[in-house]
Amino acid sequence: MITRRTFLARWLKTLLVFLWAFFRKPFSGWGEGDYFSATGFVGKTRSGDYEKFYINYWKPMRRIQAERWKLEVQGLCKHPRTFTLEQIKTFPVKTRSSRLKCVECWSARAEWRGFAIAEIEKRVEPLAEAAGVIFYCADSYKEYLSRENLNREETLLAYNMDGKPLTDEHGFPLRIIIPFKYGYKNPKAILKMEYVANMQPGTWSKIGPYSSDGTILPGYDHPLDLGKKPHRIPGGEILHY
Amino acid sequence: MTGRLNIHRRAVLLFAYCFLAGWVLTGSEKAWPSPMAEIPAGEFTIGEAVSENSLEKRTVNLEAFFMDTHEVTNAEFSGQFPQHTFYPGAEPHPVSLVTWDEARQYCALLGKRLPSEAEWEKSARGPEGRIYPWGNKAPRKKPHPYYSGLIKRRVGLNRNDISYYGLNDMAGSVWEWTGEQVDGKIVVRGGLWNLHLDYEYSKTFERNLLDPDRRFPFLGFRCARSK
Repeated sequence: MITRRTFLARWLKTLLVFLWAFFRKPFSGWGEGDYFSATGFVGKTRSGDYEKFYINYWKPMRRIQAERWKLEVQGLCKHPRTFTLEQIKTFPVKTRSSRLKCVECWSARAEWRGFAIAEIEKRVEPLAEAAGVIFYCADSYKEYLSRENLNREETLLAYNMDGKPLTDEHGFPLRIIIPFKYGYKNPKAILKMEYVANMQPGTWSKIGPYSSDGTILPGYDHPLDLGKKPHRIPGGEILHY
Repeated sequence: MTGRLNIHRRAVLLFAYCFLAGWVLTGSEKAWPSPMAEIPAGEFTIGEAVSENSLEKRTVNLEAFFMDTHEVTNAEFSGQFPQHTFYPGAEPHPVSLVTWDEARQYCALLGKRLPSEAEWEKSARGPEGRIYPWGNKAPRKKPHPYYSGLIKRRVGLNRNDISYYGLNDMAGSVWEWTGEQVDGKIVVRGGLWNLHLDYEYSKTFERNLLDPDRRFPFLGFRCARSK
């Protein structure tokens, strides 16, 4: 028989469960799953080591084997050719600390080491009509960048991050770092470069509401390495933190 | 009869006056092609204590001056700098990707100059100290939401973004160079803030600082002239 006392006790328990469910912090295991670690694949990851530097990939992809990898450079250039990882590591080194700003609102800073695109251009000699490059990536992602932007001081092709070779998650073995553009203009796990005469929208700009230009606009940033606290940014490369 | 003659004389005089006035105005337009609004002399409130991106709130007194009613367009800019290129159809869009020096040169070629920060703020804010050029209420309708990039439109198209003095696009469209320098950076005013696929208009007192040699697709300018 339900007395007034048992009814109130049950009602109170229900209320406490409801309040606990409403205000509790989610369990660490309840977020986005770590689907790829210790597998032969790599894909979008935000847990474990990557809570401070999120990983986005267009599609999950098989990890790249260093010994099999080659960078193919073709299109509007006089001497199309391929480069091995050992060859590109002989180019004069360029190091730069810069913040990668994602259009999703987060950002993270790292020290990138690699080389300037001028090293490749010296060897393949792009034709005068080559206005830009399309980068083809291992996850089927495709992105265009103008030669003007690729040859800016801030831009580099990176194979190291914070003193270590790029992990598969961060784009092993080679990626672009162009810190005045949103992350989707920083292709990674690059397999091929094609010199072209005209701008072409990349994968992300084609499927979503994302501009082909991708310049970082004035607005707000939530840096992962600074506790996601919102920072107002003036537009272009984030330099002040 | 005398009255009729007087009417005819008056009509002729009125016609001559209108003709001369039109000629004088046309002459003025040749010197300063884009329309300008006169901002009267007097005090106004600059800055806002609640915003970290604004000047400290105080009262400033300015002489009268003129300000372009709209941002300089691609068509206008390429009239002075023929090497300036833009996509077909973008003639009436605000010019962008110009450095601070190029903006200053353009204004100087037309006998104008970039506005000071105070002139810019007074033009946007009006005598009532408005938060937005149109008043104190944030608009319910967002400027082109759900897109990560900037959508350029014909200058003056947004009928809501008009200030007390009749100036267009001072809260939206593109950011604008001013003539003001702070620690080697230039004060820019009045564009959109990106909030991840959403945007908000700048408030009339908000400022942004950029390096003078930068070219950005979100950055243009308008000119001013002393009276």
